[in-house]
Amino acid sequence: MNIFLQELKAYRKSLTIWIIGVLVMVFSGMSKYAGMEGAGQSLNELMNNMPGVLKAMLGIQSLDVSSPLGFYGVLFTYLVIMLTVHAVMIGSTILSKEERDKTAEFLMTKPVTRPFIITSKLFAAAVQVTILTIVSFVSSLAAVYYFAGEGEFFREILIFSLGLWMLQVLFLTIGSGIAAMKKNPKKAPALSAAILLFTFFISIMADMTENLQPLKYITPFQYVTADMVINGNGIDGIYIFLTCILVSVFIWVTYDRYRKRDLYV
Amino acid sequence: MNVIEINGLTKHYGKARGIEDVTFSVKEGEIFGFIGPNGAGKSTTIRTLLSLIYPTGGSATILGMDMIKDAPEIKKQVGYLPSEVFYYDNMKVIDLLNYSASFYKKDCSSRIKELAERLDLDLNKKIEDLSFGNKKKVGIVQGLLHSPKLIILDEPTSGLDPLMQQTFFDLLKEENEKGVTILFSSHILSEVQKLCDRVAIIKDGKIVKVEKISTLRENNYKKFHIETKTPADQEMFNFEGIKDLEMEGNSIRFLFKGDLNPIMGRIAELDIGNVWIEEPDLEEIFMHYYEKEDQGREHV
Repeated sequence: MNIFLQELKAYRKSLTIWIIGVLVMVFSGMSKYAGMEGAGQSLNELMNNMPGVLKAMLGIQSLDVSSPLGFYGVLFTYLVIMLTVHAVMIGSTILSKEERDKTAEFLMTKPVTRPFIITSKLFAAAVQVTILTIVSFVSSLAAVYYFAGEGEFFREILIFSLGLWMLQVLFLTIGSGIAAMKKNPKKAPALSAAILLFTFFISIMADMTENLQPLKYITPFQYVTADMVINGNGIDGIYIFLTCILVSVFIWVTYDRYRKRDLYV
Repeated sequence: MNVIEINGLTKHYGKARGIEDVTFSVKEGEIFGFIGPNGAGKSTTIRTLLSLIYPTGGSATILGMDMIKDAPEIKKQVGYLPSEVFYYDNMKVIDLLNYSASFYKKDCSSRIKELAERLDLDLNKKIEDLSFGNKKKVGIVQGLLHSPKLIILDEPTSGLDPLMQQTFFDLLKEENEKGVTILFSSHILSEVQKLCDRVAIIKDGKIVKVEKISTLRENNYKKFHIETKTPADQEMFNFEGIKDLEMEGNSIRFLFKGDLNPIMGRIAELDIGNVWIEEPDLEEIFMHYYEKEDQGREHV
C-alpha cells in the first residue's frame, strides 16, 4: 500500500495537468460544434469532398459531423490519442523511473518482492488512467448535453468511454512491458511512444485503403471506432477479446522480465 | 555463526568481468572490511548479495537464508548504504525516512529523530535542496532506522566531512557493540584499518586474501628508521629479514620482517641518536599483496 500511495503522491501534479488538458480538449472541442451547428448539410458536403487520406488522418471517415455525436466522434479520436499517450508514458515511466533516477537501489533493498513493487505501481498507474477516463466521460457528457441542447447521448458516450478505458489499459501494459524488457531505463518511454505512433499510423493506413483492412487487428486504434459506436454496434467482441489477450500477455511480460532481470544500478 | 556466507560467487556482464569465484564469510558481530580499488568488484559483490543483480554462478546466504529466494525476508534485517545516494528529489527528508520506515512495519520515529540529531540533519528540508554530504546523512539514517542485524556499507564515507565521519564511525561502533554485524566496503584503507576486525582484499574481481587486520600487520615488514651519532658499517645490516636498506650519512632506513630480538641486539651495538619503529599502514600492506599477486602471475 505504501508504494501505491507514494506513486499517487508523486504523480499528483502531472495528473492535475492531464485533467486540465482533458477538460480543455473536451469543452473547447465541443464549443466548436456550437459554432458549426446549423451548417448541417453543407458541412457534410464539405467533408465528403475532402480527400480520403485527410479524412482518415483527421479521424472523420464517414461520420456525420453535423450531428452532436458525429462531431463528438471526431473529438473522441483526439481524446484517444491524448489519453493513450498518457497511458503508455505512465506505464513505461512508473517502472523505469526508479532506474532512470537511480532510486532503484533505495526501493529494491526494502523488504518487498519485485512482483509486489510491480503490482503497487501498476495499480497506481491504473487508478490514474481510470481517473482520466472518468474525467473524460463526465466532461464529455456535460459538454455534449450543453452544446447539443437536446437529445439522448448517455449510452453512446458511456460506450466511447469504456472503449477509451480499454485502450488506455492496453497501452499502459504495453508501456510497462517495454519498461520491464528494456535494460536502459531512458529508452523505454521513447520506444513506447514510437510504438504508439506506429500503431496510429497503421490505423490511418487501414482507414485509407480497403485492402489494408486486416491491419485493423494489429492496431488498437481500430478497436473502438466512432462510427461503430454511433451506429449502435458498440465495440466488436473480437476486439474486446484481443485486448484481454494482449493485456494479459503484456502484464505477464512485465512481471516475468522485471522479476528476472538485473537492475540498471 | 556466519551472517554472510559467500561461495564461489561469479557475475559476468555479458563478456565483461564482474566478479569471479568470490568466496568469504562474515561472522556474527564482526566488522568486516572489503577493500579494493575502484572497479575491483566490491559494488558488484554487494549488489549481487542484495539481489539487485543476479549471479552468473555461485551462491550466498545471509543470516542463514538464500540471498535470492529469501531476499525480502533478508532485507528486513539488513540496512544498506550505497556509495552514491539518490532519493526522490521532491520529497522532504522526513517524508522519505517515514516512507523508508513504512517497509519495516515498526515504529521508527524516535530512532529517526535520534539519528538525525546525532548527524545534525534537518528533517524538514527537501531532498533536492541537500548537499551531497547531507544526502549521505539521509542515507545513513535510512540504513539504520529499523535497527538492522546486518549493515552493508558500500564506500559510505564519501561526501562526509572528517567530523561527521567520526560521528558515523562512533554510530557504527555502537551498533556493533549491540551485536550488529557490519560489512564495510571501501578503497580508503585507513578507515578500514580503524574500524574492521577482518578484511577481504579484492582485485580484478577476485579475492586476493581474507585475513585478520592484526595478522596482516604481524606478517608484514616493520619500518625502521635509525639515526646514529657516528656513521655505521653497512655490513652490520647484512641480516636475514632486512629489505630496502638505505644508508645516508647517519640515517639508516630499512624494512624488517622476522624475529625482532636479534635485530634489536644489533641496533643496540650502534651509537644511537634516535630510533623509530613503525607499523606499515594498510596501504603498504595492501600494495604488498597486490605486488605479490602480480609477481605470482608473472611466474605462471
